[in-house]
Amino acid sequence: MKILVVNNMVPFIRGGAEKLATNLVRHLGRYGHDAELLRIPFRWDPANRMLDEMLACRMMQIYNVDRVIGLKFPAYLIPHPHKTLWVVHQFRQAYDLWESGHSYLSHDGEGQHLRHSVTEADNECFADSQSISVISRVVKERMQRFNRVPSEVLYPPLDDPEKFDCEAHENYIFCGGRINNMKRQHLLIEAMKHCRSDIKLHVAGPPDSPEDGKELERLVKQAGLQDRVILEFGFLDRERVIQLVNRSLACACVPFDEDYGYVTLEAFYAGKAVITTRDAGGVLEFVTEGETGTITDATPEALGEAMTRFAEDRPATISMGAAARDEIHDRNINWPSTVKKLVA
Amino acid sequence: MKVLLTSSYVPFIKGGGTAIVEWLEHKLVEHGHEVETIFLPFVESMDNMFNQMLSYRLLDMTENADRMIAFRPPAYLLRHPHKILWFIHHFRAFYDLWDSGYCGIPKTAENHAFRRRLMDADTVGLEESKHIFTNSRIVSDRLMEFNQIDSEVLYPPVLDPERFYCESYEPTVVYICRMEEHKRQHLLLEAMRYTKSNAKLILAGKSHSASYPRKLKLNAMKHRLTNKVEIMDRWISEDEKSQLLARCSLAAYLPFEEDSYGYPSLEAQHSRKAVLTTTDSGGVLELVRDEQNGLITEPDPQALAEAIDRAVQTPGFAKQMGEEGPHRIAELGIQWDHTINRLMAA
Repeated sequence: MKILVVNNMVPFIRGGAEKLATNLVRHLGRYGHDAELLRIPFRWDPANRMLDEMLACRMMQIYNVDRVIGLKFPAYLIPHPHKTLWVVHQFRQAYDLWESGHSYLSHDGEGQHLRHSVTEADNECFADSQSISVISRVVKERMQRFNRVPSEVLYPPLDDPEKFDCEAHENYIFCGGRINNMKRQHLLIEAMKHCRSDIKLHVAGPPDSPEDGKELERLVKQAGLQDRVILEFGFLDRERVIQLVNRSLACACVPFDEDYGYVTLEAFYAGKAVITTRDAGGVLEFVTEGETGTITDATPEALGEAMTRFAEDRPATISMGAAARDEIHDRNINWPSTVKKLVA
Repeated sequence: MKVLLTSSYVPFIKGGGTAIVEWLEHKLVEHGHEVETIFLPFVESMDNMFNQMLSYRLLDMTENADRMIAFRPPAYLLRHPHKILWFIHHFRAFYDLWDSGYCGIPKTAENHAFRRRLMDADTVGLEESKHIFTNSRIVSDRLMEFNQIDSEVLYPPVLDPERFYCESYEPTVVYICRMEEHKRQHLLLEAMRYTKSNAKLILAGKSHSASYPRKLKLNAMKHRLTNKVEIMDRWISEDEKSQLLARCSLAAYLPFEEDSYGYPSLEAQHSRKAVLTTTDSGGVLELVRDEQNGLITEPDPQALAEAIDRAVQTPGFAKQMGEEGPHRIAELGIQWDHTINRLMAA
């Protein structure tokens, strides 16, 4: 079967959704399908450009393709008689962010108009799709609430889960992934000031901007934590990330309202308990308080307290890690079943 | 420099039109540029062509890249302040083929109007470009004739020409190319009925449909040619291709009115093999000189058969013509450094 995966793109920028799209294409191929990726450029700024871009997607024609799997708005608007959606996220500026006042769409006539256009286009597209899956419960709930459309949660698998394994419990807490204000590595550094143990914090990943990196360095210096916080900036080799996860005592993941979190999956496969916060979004779909990690307020004090507990009661931390590993295996988040569901 | 390469395509179909883009990307990266390639879908159907063209027009590529190089139509409708075209063909049914008898579109008043509007839209996109390169003289001539627009011929090289080599001149003719009606493998098969030498023919390549290769195989059986002709209707790997070319005497390429010389001819020349082609093959004739680096005959099986016999029976002839190949390539300036200099200087 010829399957075209359809996604948005911004030239020269790659992120999690792009990785998901390429992984999906590769795994469709592995399970016997012809799969290709179509990337449609999308800019959404200024806001009224969006109408042009929606229209562009709606007027494209796809020929020589048996099925389309759409991942993002507005690329998934492209017409095709057999369309499956696996929604990474909707155009949040027109939904939850608009509602909470975080959207760049205004609340006046024009903003309202654009918002309605997005909702209508989405509703039509959802009605025309053969099946709708989403990558997390957060996305499912938003679609249910704003579009009254039911969907099935299909968590994106890791590409290489077998490489994550508990190799040691060295005396550090690991926090990996992109570094920016929304991922809130700064909270963890500040939390170290309140941590009453000699455990270290290891932060590793590429800062989105040089300022993001400098800010963390400044915080470490200011608190005199140079001996206890290790900052490792840059695009890390996959092998290096795996090693850092596998040898940690536990992992921390404290983003603000994330749709999903690969980092949590990596920790769980490696048998590590996860420290997170009540407002972390998708991470909370995996972590259970006291069983596979801990969920605290998003404050340095509360996080510092959690880190102290994790370091001092090692047996409890290690056994929560083992439970996390069992949990992720029970959930059956793997490519063969994902491909099967999407192609069913 | 940040360079955006844009073109149209049909999903799951690969050919010269996708190769020119992918190879250029590869070479630009080698030269230290940042490259992003975008292929957008397009179907040449009169029902909704203008809608599809409008969808290209609505996408603004201005940000992110220092320049955009656009290829296959209607990629030139995409907007970018520094737009360069490497124009590889028109929507030919509405241009040169319109009056040729190869265009099935009824010549109604409505369709004439459709054609004029299409040309108008094309001209807008073309005129916005900073510079237009084409892949052949023929395409440049058509741009002048139909759109009154000047352009520069920039012959597309193949990726890594050094992978082609010459080993021997066995009495074999190879035709390695997509197997399609307009590439006319059937003409060469037919020619094998008339050859008198011990020449063998190998037709190799994947087909878009199942029917054309089947027809070829049936004809081979019907005319008892199966001991002289081998039909490999499948994807040919690059290694296999260079091996086949390394050992043959002649490499055939006989498309009907092709826009450019076509990669099969160029690959043959890099392998020091003469190209067998016909007087109506279009752009191929910009590369091949009769009896110098190839043979050009009428598009007729008997004429082709005579040419094949001559090439395999005249001692040293195939080798002499083949060795001219690399000189001819140099003469036309078909090499990446030149291509990239021109595309990035414009």
